[in-house]
Amino acid sequence: MAELKQTNTIVHPRYGCAIGAAYTVAAIPGGVPIANCGPGCVDKQYFALSGSNGFQGSGVAAGGDMPSVNFGENEVVFGGAKKLDGLIKSALKIVKGDLFVVLTGCSGELIGDNVESVVKAYKKQGYNIVFADTAGFKGNNLRGHEIVVKAIIDQFVGDFKGRRRRTLINLWAEVPYFNTFWRGDTAELKRILEGAGFEVNVLFGPQSAGISEWQRIPRASFNLVVSPWVGVGIAKHLEEKYGQPYLHIPVLPIGEEATSAFLRKVVDFAGIDPQKAERFIQTEAHEYYYYLEHFADFFAEYWFGLPSRFAAVGDSAYNIALTKFLSDQVGLIPVKQIITDNPPEKKRDSIAALYHDLTQGVETDPVFLEDGYLIEQALEETDFGSGVPLILGSSWEKDVAAKKKGLLLEVGTPATEEVVINRSYIGYRGALTLLENIYTATVGGK
Amino acid sequence: MAKRTINLDMTACDNREMRIGSITSWDGSASELVAASNYEERGKGEKKKGCAGGKGKLCQLCELHMPFSQQTMCANAIVGCQIGNITDCILIDHGPIGCSANHARFNLGYKMGLIRRGKPVENLRIFSTNLKEQDMVFGASDRLRQTIQDAFDRYHPRAIFISMSCSTAIIGEDIDSVADEKEAELGIPIVPLHCEGFRSKHWSTGFDISQHGVVRQIVKRDPVKQPDLINIVALWGTDYFTDILKPLGLRVNYMIDMASYDELAQASEAVATATFCHTLGSYMATALEEHFGVPQIDAPQPYGIAATDAWLRAIAKIVGKEQETEDYIQREHERIAPRLAELREELKGLNGFVMTGSSYAHGLISVLRELGLGVEGSIVFHHDPVYDSGHEHQNTLKYLVDSYGDVPHFTVSKTQPFQLYAILNRVKTDFVIIRHNGLAPVAAKLGIPALAMGDEHFPVGYDGIIRVGEILLDIVARKKFNQVLARHTELGYTNWWLSQEDPFILARKPELLDEPIYEENGGRYDG
Repeated sequence: MAELKQTNTIVHPRYGCAIGAAYTVAAIPGGVPIANCGPGCVDKQYFALSGSNGFQGSGVAAGGDMPSVNFGENEVVFGGAKKLDGLIKSALKIVKGDLFVVLTGCSGELIGDNVESVVKAYKKQGYNIVFADTAGFKGNNLRGHEIVVKAIIDQFVGDFKGRRRRTLINLWAEVPYFNTFWRGDTAELKRILEGAGFEVNVLFGPQSAGISEWQRIPRASFNLVVSPWVGVGIAKHLEEKYGQPYLHIPVLPIGEEATSAFLRKVVDFAGIDPQKAERFIQTEAHEYYYYLEHFADFFAEYWFGLPSRFAAVGDSAYNIALTKFLSDQVGLIPVKQIITDNPPEKKRDSIAALYHDLTQGVETDPVFLEDGYLIEQALEETDFGSGVPLILGSSWEKDVAAKKKGLLLEVGTPATEEVVINRSYIGYRGALTLLENIYTATVGGK
Repeated sequence: MAKRTINLDMTACDNREMRIGSITSWDGSASELVAASNYEERGKGEKKKGCAGGKGKLCQLCELHMPFSQQTMCANAIVGCQIGNITDCILIDHGPIGCSANHARFNLGYKMGLIRRGKPVENLRIFSTNLKEQDMVFGASDRLRQTIQDAFDRYHPRAIFISMSCSTAIIGEDIDSVADEKEAELGIPIVPLHCEGFRSKHWSTGFDISQHGVVRQIVKRDPVKQPDLINIVALWGTDYFTDILKPLGLRVNYMIDMASYDELAQASEAVATATFCHTLGSYMATALEEHFGVPQIDAPQPYGIAATDAWLRAIAKIVGKEQETEDYIQREHERIAPRLAELREELKGLNGFVMTGSSYAHGLISVLRELGLGVEGSIVFHHDPVYDSGHEHQNTLKYLVDSYGDVPHFTVSKTQPFQLYAILNRVKTDFVIIRHNGLAPVAAKLGIPALAMGDEHFPVGYDGIIRVGEILLDIVARKKFNQVLARHTELGYTNWWLSQEDPFILARKPELLDEPIYEENGGRYDG
């Protein structure tokens, strides 16, 4: 294989920039992002995170509805604070919302606008409003997500003195909109954690109670981070701020064995009575294996070929979760795992270590690449054996999948050939949907 | 070629608002806008006099300055979906990765376009220099050099274009010098495009910037005339123009999307330039006319029967096929008449509303009126009081009003969904026709289905009228879905705002913002 040299160049981007965290705000019921940036910035983020990512839509305060300063030459020359002030003042009258978050992009940061003083005036008047520095050059939308969440915690949730609720947990798992199936997956995580006896602050999406839930963050007994790296910074911040402990489970659970183990770990950490969880696990397992048993007929005796070797291309969270499930529970063979979300250098060894322990006798070394040209070249050079190559990736892999005569399942952004409403690929139920979709793709196209 | 308004000596082109006085915020009737635009006078003389800074009688287009604004597109994005769609050239976004966050959307459009034009379908290849904080501090020219080299080594493109972003413009990146240096080194055209998003108040300047770069550095300087070649400045639409123009013995050269380097280069060899939309095509057509003597079609756009007739006659005159064209027009009229009559019957009583780019909307309204539909209002995302050509018969808004009557509620507004409730409340409409994202979802919640005119050539010519009529029957049926939405969902705006009847009230009475709204918002009861 030719040596892969990553320069600064990126082709076929798989994330937005820090101001994409406007969609973190939009995912909070009652959250209103105010984009303090150029005219096209958040429109572009919309496509990376929603419009070209399962056509997720945007609710009432994002997409075309998102308030934006739309920096012009005048603001660049004379400063944008005045226009921002007018925008905030009018947004508070026009746009319905419970929490307004001003996100400043490249232009505002480079010309050095004092956004804090503009925002503070409205805060003093009693409005729920915070600000965050999310210039695109600071990093991708995952960094932006952490910056914005911390800003809301520090400037809105604030200090806390009171008792914690033993069964209440804060869930920090997938990144809203960025992870294509975040809504269905969050719902499944909430369902199973509630089934095990917890109350869950999901914080984002239709199951969240909105800002009242955010205000209850300090009351939770601990923070549950279910992700290889995103969210760990938030949990550490909360630990420092509220003395709240956190449990970090790096791999999203998929399938009965992983999901039941996941629940037992959380119950054990919380120190609550495991009885309810065990009853729940039993019921779920019963149902899960009923379906798996029926699926097994197809899996055992389908005459016309099934894929065996697979590649996964995507963000760390989904990449390891899918790779683990397919290797450990289905017996597919991982041949190329490419992590595309640019995790911090110091986290990469611990992420790679997860791939060294996929299942008994199976390990692989993931590659960290963000440049689509190199990613597609790596896939092209991958040996998928004699079967049909299976690629779990994004729309960008379409051409290379066709070249390899493989099956492509879009599981991360961009996903322009999937319409995603509330589908989940994790937990008990999502695992079955994942099998359905992989094998529907397999039996299709005749 | 006495008159030259387009200066190809500079790498940058003037903003549309400075060049031709374009506006983005206005409300009134179409006939009032025709009068205020004073197209004929502007076409003759200095065109740039708008509210942007001019004086005298050509400075009549006063805008409504609203304190509130919502996200829109930018010129940088337009360059991405134009230059980024040239099949054998590479565009480099010189900025942080967020400036490239919409590439997957452009890829979808590009692939659809390739399918429609029968070209090999493959992924879009726009590069990003992917700038970080340290590049903002120390400068990013070495990153740009690296990415130019990467693009060259990987794909051996015929030309490389560089697009400026807000951040690289603010830190003063000299893309012209890097382009010159790498052009000398690599031996292919390297074209700098000054399209930073904050530069122009309207994204359509991005069309002009793209076309400027192509005409300045790609188009052949020593053309050999191809007497059967006609340029059509277009986007991604289906190739209906070949069917329309074949009877005149013409081959179509589409520009810029999905064109190859050679197809763009031969633009100076064509017998004429035409377009489906003067908003899009006027800069390029005028540049080719002024600098290479390629005449542009001085006619309205080919929408509706009368305008299509006029458009074909104008082309026929240039290629000397007047008699054949008269026969062709006659045959076409007879051919579509029976189905058109049926459609007018089937669509009787329906009303439509058009929300698209400027002169394209004028064409769409013509088609709706041709089908016998009512059109009481429209939103155009900007308005050009005159086009670059200044040619008399391209005054598309006047042509619409003169041929099909006034449009009482004609709004210029740059994709601002918050205004839509008030705007749609003052008209009768059974559907909206839209381009660009953001507005249709609001209409959808008000119970109104949308025809997303993603294939912009769909309404063109005689058959276009029939195509639009037929699809509208399908679209109107979707109202069932929209009525469900309307019954169960709400808009994200306060009751106070939704109770305003004037979508521009805050421009006229900004003091309203200081009055209480008597409802809780943002965690505060404002009473």
